[in-house]
Amino acid sequence: MFTAQNLLSVGVAALLTAGLYAVMSYGLAIIYGVMKVINLSNAGFLMLGAFMTLVYFQAWHLDPLAGAFVNLPVFFVAGWLVYRGLVRRVMTSLPLASLLMLFALWLVLQNLALAIWGADDQSIITAYTYKALSVFGFRIPVTRLLVFGVALLVLGILHYVLGHTYVGKALRATVQDPQASLLVGIDTDRISAVAFGLGTAFAGFAGSLLTLLFSFTPDFGGAFQLKSFTIIVLGGLENFAGVTVGAAILAFVESFAVLFMKASLQNVIAYALLVIVLIVMPGGVAQLWSRNRS
Amino acid sequence: MRRWLRTGGAVLATTALLLVLVTAGQPAAMPEIKIGTVLPLTGAFGSSGTYFKQGYGMAIDDVNKAGGLDVGGQKYHVTLTVLDDGSDGTRSRSLVEKLVTDQHVNFLLGGYDTSLVEAQEVVPDQYKIPYVEGGGAASEIFKRNYKYVFGTLATIYNLGTITMDYLAYQIGQNKLPKPITIAIVWENTDHGKDYIDAILDQQKAHPDLFKVVLNQSFQLNGSDFSPLLQQVKASNATVFLSDAHLPDFITMHRQYLQAGLYHQVVSYGARGPDQRGRQALGTGADYLIAGLWWTPALKDPASQLFAERYQREFHAIPDWFQALAYDTARVLLQAVRDAKTLAGPVVRDTLAHMVFHGSLLPGGVIRFGPDGQVRAPYVMVQTTPGNTVRIIWPKKMPETRDGVVPMPHVQ
Repeated sequence: MFTAQNLLSVGVAALLTAGLYAVMSYGLAIIYGVMKVINLSNAGFLMLGAFMTLVYFQAWHLDPLAGAFVNLPVFFVAGWLVYRGLVRRVMTSLPLASLLMLFALWLVLQNLALAIWGADDQSIITAYTYKALSVFGFRIPVTRLLVFGVALLVLGILHYVLGHTYVGKALRATVQDPQASLLVGIDTDRISAVAFGLGTAFAGFAGSLLTLLFSFTPDFGGAFQLKSFTIIVLGGLENFAGVTVGAAILAFVESFAVLFMKASLQNVIAYALLVIVLIVMPGGVAQLWSRNRS
Repeated sequence: MRRWLRTGGAVLATTALLLVLVTAGQPAAMPEIKIGTVLPLTGAFGSSGTYFKQGYGMAIDDVNKAGGLDVGGQKYHVTLTVLDDGSDGTRSRSLVEKLVTDQHVNFLLGGYDTSLVEAQEVVPDQYKIPYVEGGGAASEIFKRNYKYVFGTLATIYNLGTITMDYLAYQIGQNKLPKPITIAIVWENTDHGKDYIDAILDQQKAHPDLFKVVLNQSFQLNGSDFSPLLQQVKASNATVFLSDAHLPDFITMHRQYLQAGLYHQVVSYGARGPDQRGRQALGTGADYLIAGLWWTPALKDPASQLFAERYQREFHAIPDWFQALAYDTARVLLQAVRDAKTLAGPVVRDTLAHMVFHGSLLPGGVIRFGPDGQVRAPYVMVQTTPGNTVRIIWPKKMPETRDGVVPMPHVQ
C-alpha cells in the first residue's frame, strides 16, 4: 500500500514537525537546565502566545509569523516578572513547591483566557493557510515549511547566543555547575531570571507558530506540553543539542508508527517511548554521546 | 419574669399581625420546579456546552414567561441549575449526583457529548429522576437498560446509513464511479464505533457499490492528524469519511487542506455546517457533506421561528446543538405537564409513551423507542459558499436541492 514516495512524504512531514517540536521544547529545557525546575506553566504560556497572536492579527492584521517575533520580548518580560515575583520565592523550598506553584499558574492562565476569550475554538486563516508547494513531486504545506524555517532560524540564533555571548556562556556554566559559576562571579540569580524569561519567550513564540497549523482554545497546550517532556527526556534533560535530536526522534517515531498501527495509539507511542527511555537510557541521547566519547 | 414574657409575646404577635397585613394583598409565591444539568462549559466541548445552555434556557424562559408550568392545576416557576464539568467525564458524573443530593433537583437535562452522557447516565436510575438528553447519540448509551434515560438524538448508526444511501444515489446518477473507494477514519469512542459499523454493514450489503480501502480509528481530542492523513492520501480513495467531534473536525480538516488532499466527497459525519467550524475554516469548509438532526435550512414554520428567535437573542445563526437542546427541554417540560405530578416514576412513564408534536426535528414529532432513544430521521446537507447550507437528502423533502458532487477544489 505504501510506495517509496509515500514513505518519503511521511519522512518530510516528520522532519517539518520536528522543527516545531524543538522550538516548543527548548524553553522547557533551558528552565530545567538552569534552575532544575519543571515549568508546568509552559503550556499556559504556549496557549497565551497563541491568543496574543490572535489579538495582533485581529487588531493590526499582523501575520502570525510577525506575531511570533513580537511575542519574543513580550513573553521574555512576562517570564522575567514571573520568576522575580513567584518562582524565586519557592526556589529554596522542596521541588514539589515550585511544581505545584507553576501548575497553579497554568490553571490561572487557562481561566484568565477563558474569561477573556471564552471556550470557543479560535483560528487564524491567512492567505497562505491552505497553500502547498510542490517540491520534487512532494506537496509541502506552506505553513509547515514556514514554521520549520522560522524554528530553525530562531534555534540558530539561540545556539549563537549560547556559544558566543557572555549571557549564553554564563547560562551554560550555570547548567553545568551552579556552585562553580557562583565562584567565578556569575550572578546565578540573574541568570535564572534570564533563563525563565527565555524559556517563557520560547513558549510564546511556539504558541504563535502553532496558530499557523492548529485551531486553539484556552485548553490548548496540554498535549504539546506532554510531548515537550518526552522530548527533553529523550534529549537528556540538560542538553540543548539533545533537544533537537529528541524532537526529531519523537516526530519520526510518531509519524512512521501510525503507518503500521492504529492512529488512536499515537499518544501511546509517545508515552511508551518516554517510559522506555527513562528505564533504559535515563540520560537520553546525551548519555549515548558521553558513552561514545569515553 | 412573667411581665417580660407577656411583653415579648405581645411584640411577636404584633409583628406577625403586621406581616399578615402587609402580605395579604399579594399572591402566594409560586412553587418551584428545579431542573439541573451538567454541561461542558469549558474544556474541549466548551462551545457545544454553551449552545446547549442557551437552548435549555430558551425553552424554560418560554414556560416562565407564560406564567409558569401547569402541573395538575398548580402553576410552577421553573429554574435551571447549570454546573460545568470542564468536559471531564468523572467530574460530570459526580456533579450530576451533586445536583440530586445537594440541590434536590426534580428533573435532569443531559450534557454533551456521548462520552459525558455515558458518564452521567448512571445517576438518574439510582435516584429515579427522569433525565432527557440531546447531546449523546451513540446507541451504546441506550443499551444499558436504564429506565430513566431518554435521548432526542437519532442514533449515529443511522447517520452512517443515510450517508451511504446518499453516496449510493450519487453512484446511480453517475456522479461517482462504481464502486467508490472509501477512506474512513473514526474517533475511538462509542460514537465512532456506531458510525464505522454502519459503513461496514452497508459495504457488506452493497459490495458492488462500496469498497472501504482505509479503516482507521483515532483518539478523541487529538492534536495532530498529519500522519493519519498521510495514510488517507496513500489510500487513493474517491471518498473521505470521518466521524469526528467539532474540535477534531476543525483540526483535521485544516490539516487535510494544508496537506493538499482532495476527494470527490468529504464528510465529517455531523460536522461541517457548525458556525464555529465555518468560522475556523473559512472557505475551507465549503462543499462538505453532513448528516444532521436539525438545520436552519429546514423551512417548516417551527424551525424558521426558532432560527429567527435565536438570531434575535444571540446574534448568531443556530446550529443543531441549540435546536436539539431547546426540543429536549420542551419534551421534559411537556412530560411533566402531561404527568400532572412531579413524581419521578410517573413522569418517566409519561416520557416513555409520549408523542411530542411541534418538535423542530425533521417530521416534527418526537417519540422514544423502548430503549429510550428517539426514532427520528436525519437530513443530509451540504455547506455552500457564503456561510449557507442546502438540504440535499432525502430527495422527497420540498427544501431538497441537488448536491454539488464531485465537490470542487476549494483551495
